[in-house]
Amino acid sequence: MLRKIMAFTLITFLLVGCSTSETNNSDSKTEEQITLNVLMEEVPDTDIAIEMVKSFNQENENIVLNIETLPYDQMRDKLVSSFLAPEAAYDIIVVDNPWMYDFSNAGYLEPLDDKIETSGSDYDFSDFSDSLEDIAIVNDQKFAIPFYNYATGLVYRKDVFEEQGISIPTTLKELCTVAQTLTTDEAYGIAAQPQKGYKIMEEWMNWLLAAGGALQNDNGDIILDSPEAREALKAYIDTINSSAPKNSTNWAFDEALRSVASGDSMMTLNYNWMLPTLNNPDGEAGSLAGNFALAEVPGGQAALGAWFWAISSNSEYKDEAWTFIEWISSPEQEKSRVISGGAPVRDSILDDPEVWEQGYGEEYYVTLKNILADAIPLANGPNAEELIQVVGTELNAAVTGQKTVDEAITDASNLAKEIMNE
Amino acid sequence: MNSYQKETLLLKMVRILLIWISILTVLIPFIWVILSSFKSPSDLSDATNVFFTPILNNWTNVFNSGIPINFINSFIVAFITILISLIVGLPAAYSISKFKTGGNFTKLGILIAEVVPSATLVVPIFLASYFLGINGSILPVIFAHLTFILPIITWFLIGFFDAVPNSLEEQALIDGCTRFGAFIKIIIPQVLPGVGAASIFGFVLSWNDMFYALILGGKDTQTLPMAIAGYNTFRGVQLGEMSVAILVSAIPTIILSFFIQKRLIKMMGGGAIKE
Amino acid sequence: MSKSNSPSLTNDSVSIYKWKLLFPLILILFVILVFPLGYSLWLAFHDFSIIDPDSNKFVGNAQFQKVLTNPMYWTVMKNTFLFVLIAVSFEVILGVLIALALSKQRILKNFTRAVILAPMFVTPIAVGLMFRFILNNQLGFIPAFLAKFNISIDFFGSNYTLLTLALIDVWQWTPFIILMILSGLESLPQDPFEAAYVEGASKLTVFLTITLPLLKPVLLVAILIRSLDALKVFEYVYAITKGGPGTSTETLQFYIHKLGFGYYRLSEAAAVSWTVVVIIMIGLIIMLKSPKKEST
Repeated sequence: MLRKIMAFTLITFLLVGCSTSETNNSDSKTEEQITLNVLMEEVPDTDIAIEMVKSFNQENENIVLNIETLPYDQMRDKLVSSFLAPEAAYDIIVVDNPWMYDFSNAGYLEPLDDKIETSGSDYDFSDFSDSLEDIAIVNDQKFAIPFYNYATGLVYRKDVFEEQGISIPTTLKELCTVAQTLTTDEAYGIAAQPQKGYKIMEEWMNWLLAAGGALQNDNGDIILDSPEAREALKAYIDTINSSAPKNSTNWAFDEALRSVASGDSMMTLNYNWMLPTLNNPDGEAGSLAGNFALAEVPGGQAALGAWFWAISSNSEYKDEAWTFIEWISSPEQEKSRVISGGAPVRDSILDDPEVWEQGYGEEYYVTLKNILADAIPLANGPNAEELIQVVGTELNAAVTGQKTVDEAITDASNLAKEIMNE
Repeated sequence: MNSYQKETLLLKMVRILLIWISILTVLIPFIWVILSSFKSPSDLSDATNVFFTPILNNWTNVFNSGIPINFINSFIVAFITILISLIVGLPAAYSISKFKTGGNFTKLGILIAEVVPSATLVVPIFLASYFLGINGSILPVIFAHLTFILPIITWFLIGFFDAVPNSLEEQALIDGCTRFGAFIKIIIPQVLPGVGAASIFGFVLSWNDMFYALILGGKDTQTLPMAIAGYNTFRGVQLGEMSVAILVSAIPTIILSFFIQKRLIKMMGGGAIKE
Repeated sequence: MSKSNSPSLTNDSVSIYKWKLLFPLILILFVILVFPLGYSLWLAFHDFSIIDPDSNKFVGNAQFQKVLTNPMYWTVMKNTFLFVLIAVSFEVILGVLIALALSKQRILKNFTRAVILAPMFVTPIAVGLMFRFILNNQLGFIPAFLAKFNISIDFFGSNYTLLTLALIDVWQWTPFIILMILSGLESLPQDPFEAAYVEGASKLTVFLTITLPLLKPVLLVAILIRSLDALKVFEYVYAITKGGPGTSTETLQFYIHKLGFGYYRLSEAAAVSWTVVVIIMIGLIIMLKSPKKEST
């Protein structure tokens, strides 16, 4: 028994020892310098930003950035639970567009209007793509600065299109026909990602917009229940059945990327930055790299997603946090970020011949500028996350045959309205 | 006599077949993981491809990414968790099994935390650790793991104590042992295979948990499952690196379980001879 | 522990002794659980949302009413219990058979055991991602292999998706049953078996009349632990289907996680959790009472 008690005490000491030594370490570091805690998603755009911190520190020696990176869902879980603590766990957070309204409205984000104003004309907030600017504004206040975009485009096999004399589809009808034409014994016309929730929404939104429908109107009201939506869903399902890889109704980004990369599928509606990934000879596509190109989605209006920089409203170091955000999102740094492979958010950068040359070529940036010009966020306003999940569930049920097109659209619309009324 | 032998031969064949099927079912996915760990991103797009030029990039990338630290974190958390669980769980399980202490109320009461979903428990544990100032260290992760591993280990052991005949303890008491002495010297050796199995399982539960470690731990206390899940990004699953991480997390523990079992069987053998 | 010099079996010393043995466990569980459980109960009777932190009014059982009248809740319950039933049945049957086979093995004993236990040591999220690719129609080798026999199965997009997920669970957790049964077999006394063989009983008779009854306590605990654990299935759903197709693989833990962290409604998530606690506790009380009646 005595041994047991001793073992217990030992363990307790060990543990307490561990935890105190840790806190000591971080204390001694912060004596002269200010440490900003940052939570970011684990993606290449974050890696590029982390790389840039080195040059930031050459100008600002007293601001240390302690950056924690996690994959999407884990990052959201950690962020959301950190909001419950009275003190800010993170000074700078990056915010995905479906969270923007809810986080701002709940008071977790610091309004940035004054700070943007003081930064002046050199900073030029209006240079950010309009569609991105709009997302950052909640209740007439600016809560965030665009970081990088993930708007959708049509990624296709340029070589195959040229060889077969196929022109880029500009309407929904053309998209369906082209997908069928491209489907042969060896290859499929289009790789879809109809997985429940986010994935199918990100993809099908483009079909909906191309058919002339929409999820929400300008006021944020649900207008999903329309003949256009039914037409879009029917065309989507028919195309998956006729021209997409077999048994692919659970596919998400990965499967679609790999299918296109390995030459099994000829096109896909996906994030525009999929193009540089595919054209990288060290990447998934291997020897096929270089044969891929980006076009606007049929109909011209794309589904938009984007990440933003924001400051925690209960951060102790708001000014220092702004110093960093202002620096990294300035036109000058934006340029070097985009040249390193980051996804652009400023119009001036998309027009910059230097960026074209050192980046991924003129065609990519010009197309991207057109995409961003009128892209529409997946969902706007309160409960956007829930809205996306719920509508995405109904759509998936229709694709897998659990519901008819009519049932799915009606149910999705009703559930969406319920969510907005909550 | 003859018919009896025939039956055993058939049974033996069925037995060996069953073992081989099990081994293959387990190994085939692992072979896929091992192959994937040496594949380049373009080779990974073709899973049926067995003939490819192996590369070591995935391995070097993973080892440069701090996975040894994740490994140590996971190990410390799992080790302390099962140590506490065993020290506390063994006597408690014995008490519940032998004396029905507190009746079903105890038996069920200790299971509550195992039943409450972690997504609900994690928020208050996070808040508590925040106010205690231990947030971000491994302490709250250990506490959280104890909430479900301690009851499971205790329940696990109850089953094994139930199988120990009462006569053993009575004999020891007559021989002059104290109750607690009898428990340590006579009863526990009887359930050693159970203790071994419980430790392995408790270790596995702690080793595999991602959710608590994610919310309660900090940047420096990331555990292996977090490192593995970290390769499942929004920009696609980095299969090659993830395969390496899976192997790094699984193989040492498999080897460890091999030695634990070997040792336990030996100890059991010793105990049985004494009987 | 105070030394009692008399080895007597008086009720008095036992009644203190048994609580002394139990006390450390109760103390630790109390310390680590009193606040979390209390807080989650508090949540379940209030209306607290992460994105509306200032409103946390007491709403009585409104959350429970909302939860129980939501058809989604019942779909989730059905999926979860079906998953547990399928997964645990397979695991127990396979686990007992394989454990019996292994217990008679002589050559490469420890090696085989270590290999067969291996799936447990892979974190479930990785297992999920692994099978998402292995069973993928275009990228996985299993569908490629089946295609040679002209078999085409949509593992994740059909009505059988829940079964696929259950079988992944079987792959990962049958080793747990094997581990428990093997350890159980090793702790069995030898005498009854010798007696039976002397009497010339057949293997099947010995298994049914001696092995199985002796294993019963261990087996019951194994089933209980596995069921409670399978009830919390999250990673396979998260890594593979996100609950699809439609809502057919939406399970409890996934649903609660989505309510709490995705939709920020912590109170609703807590209410769902507590309905589960009540259901499980009632189930356990029934389970604990029935075998007692049999044995007496």
